[in-house]
Amino acid sequence: MMRILTYFRQKPTRSAVPLAGIALLLLALPFTASAELGGDATSVLADQAHMKATLKTTQTGTYTVHEIQAPSGTVVREYVSPVGKVFAVAWRGPFLPDLHQVLGASFTPFTQAAQAQKRQRTGRGPVVVQQDGLVVKSAGHARNYFGKAYLPELLPQGVSAEDIR
Amino acid sequence: MMTRQNVRRFVSIPLFGALLLAVGCGGSSSPVATPAQSIANTSANVQPISVNLGPTGNYPDGVFTSVTVCAPGSTTNCQVIDNVLVDTGSFGLRVVGSALGSLALNQEIVNGNPLAECFSYVDGTYNWGPVQTADVQISGELASSVPIQVLDDAFSVIPSATCTGTPNDTAATLGANGILGVGPVQYDCGSSCTSNIPAVDQYYQCSTIAPSSSVVTSAALNLQVQNPVSLFATDNNGVIVELPAITAPQATLTGSLVFGIGTQSNNGLGSATVVPMDPNSLTFSTNFQNTNMTGSFVDSGSNALYFDSSSSSLPECSDVTFYCPTSTANLSAVNSGTGGTASVDFTVFNADQLFTTVDAALPGLAGPSDGSFTSFDWGLPFFFGRNVYTSIEGKPAPGGTTPYWAYPPN
Repeated sequence: MMRILTYFRQKPTRSAVPLAGIALLLLALPFTASAELGGDATSVLADQAHMKATLKTTQTGTYTVHEIQAPSGTVVREYVSPVGKVFAVAWRGPFLPDLHQVLGASFTPFTQAAQAQKRQRTGRGPVVVQQDGLVVKSAGHARNYFGKAYLPELLPQGVSAEDIR
Repeated sequence: MMTRQNVRRFVSIPLFGALLLAVGCGGSSSPVATPAQSIANTSANVQPISVNLGPTGNYPDGVFTSVTVCAPGSTTNCQVIDNVLVDTGSFGLRVVGSALGSLALNQEIVNGNPLAECFSYVDGTYNWGPVQTADVQISGELASSVPIQVLDDAFSVIPSATCTGTPNDTAATLGANGILGVGPVQYDCGSSCTSNIPAVDQYYQCSTIAPSSSVVTSAALNLQVQNPVSLFATDNNGVIVELPAITAPQATLTGSLVFGIGTQSNNGLGSATVVPMDPNSLTFSTNFQNTNMTGSFVDSGSNALYFDSSSSSLPECSDVTFYCPTSTANLSAVNSGTGGTASVDFTVFNADQLFTTVDAALPGLAGPSDGSFTSFDWGLPFFFGRNVYTSIEGKPAPGGTTPYWAYPPN
């Protein structure tokens, strides 16, 4: 957790939203949550049992970030647009989150694309899936996993892929 | 897969080079030249390894070896399994079930039920199968009754709610007959799987009474899949992966996997520089292009160098998974952990040009990471020409607190 927050501070501020403009809303909600890529913001409250996680919400001018920390220490950040859609997710931590849960309907296209790449050439390393409607980047090794996924068509205006981390 | 003669022939040239250097330096304590690489000869703690295309014939920059798996306590009821991937990025032995043939191992039991594991990968695949104990022999070393994972989709019922994605349990999909995880810790899950309600859904107890089912369970450390090196009687504090330098693609490449650090005459640290890792994330910091990538790691199981680059000299290939510089890029970075720093000079070749060959060992194969500029994955090309030490947490080794990686200076 600390590692991740440190990393966020160190990142070059390429975000269109200055750090000073971010309002932190710490929701001490005793619940566990996980939304899925492409789902509604209300689905943050769905699947409460799945990650057994704590939630922190950060509001920016253009979107809301739900930061979910699982007991394993892995943090999933879900980006919700003003129209209430999860347009991006990012994860980081010692254990992989359940990517099926996190990616939702995008999981199958992700695994199919990853399998197609592997049939061409076997190997082990990060997976980069870059399609018109879906970008997934998943990397890391035991005790250190990280990645992001977003739906380019749902990115709010002024938000770039670099903002998702 | 590799004859003793082949190993000897390979080894003789570097050894001769080291001898010349020693003579040339006259015993000086501050040599100006980097010592020539020495690759260990066949010995009780040395296992031959080979970079080849693996059983599927399409695995570039993978390094493989063979392991002998025996029923616990037996030296005759055994199966030699070749084409096992040597992976310093994971912990424990996983073997494709069919590669065991008729060999029966001892099933681990939790609450009266067989123990199984679902181990997930970044590409949405997983390994599924029972956890069983075996005696694992590699070179002259023996790990007795070590829990391994036997990959088998047909075992019990795969718990579809939490073990999600695509099964990766055959040689055809794995690109190997197994994975030998010899990374820097002993237990593949550790304390995250030991509490009554485990923090991670990784271990399952599988009911044998119809209808069968697989339910998440805690798994005590001694039941978990474990790095077999840590269970060797001696030479159990780490490994050295030794592969020769290459400047052009090679059909195959042979080298040595040496067990122990500073435990025998052939596994001293020598001039290697120690880079400690964070004991939780098993990472250090790589400074590259003035960016500190704090989640960096060394991994023989990654088949390329994977890192994000801001340089226009490293354009991505059309398939976006590798780099395709128009001319070979000579680069450098600095790795640092608490109390240790070591620079690395490295080269990136054009991946599309490398792939025009059907060679297994490709120097300078590299590609992008996840775009966050937070991690440098020093995969197998980093190992070519460097003896890379991976020490194991909790096992004392010369050079400082474990776990660490160490490698010779440029």
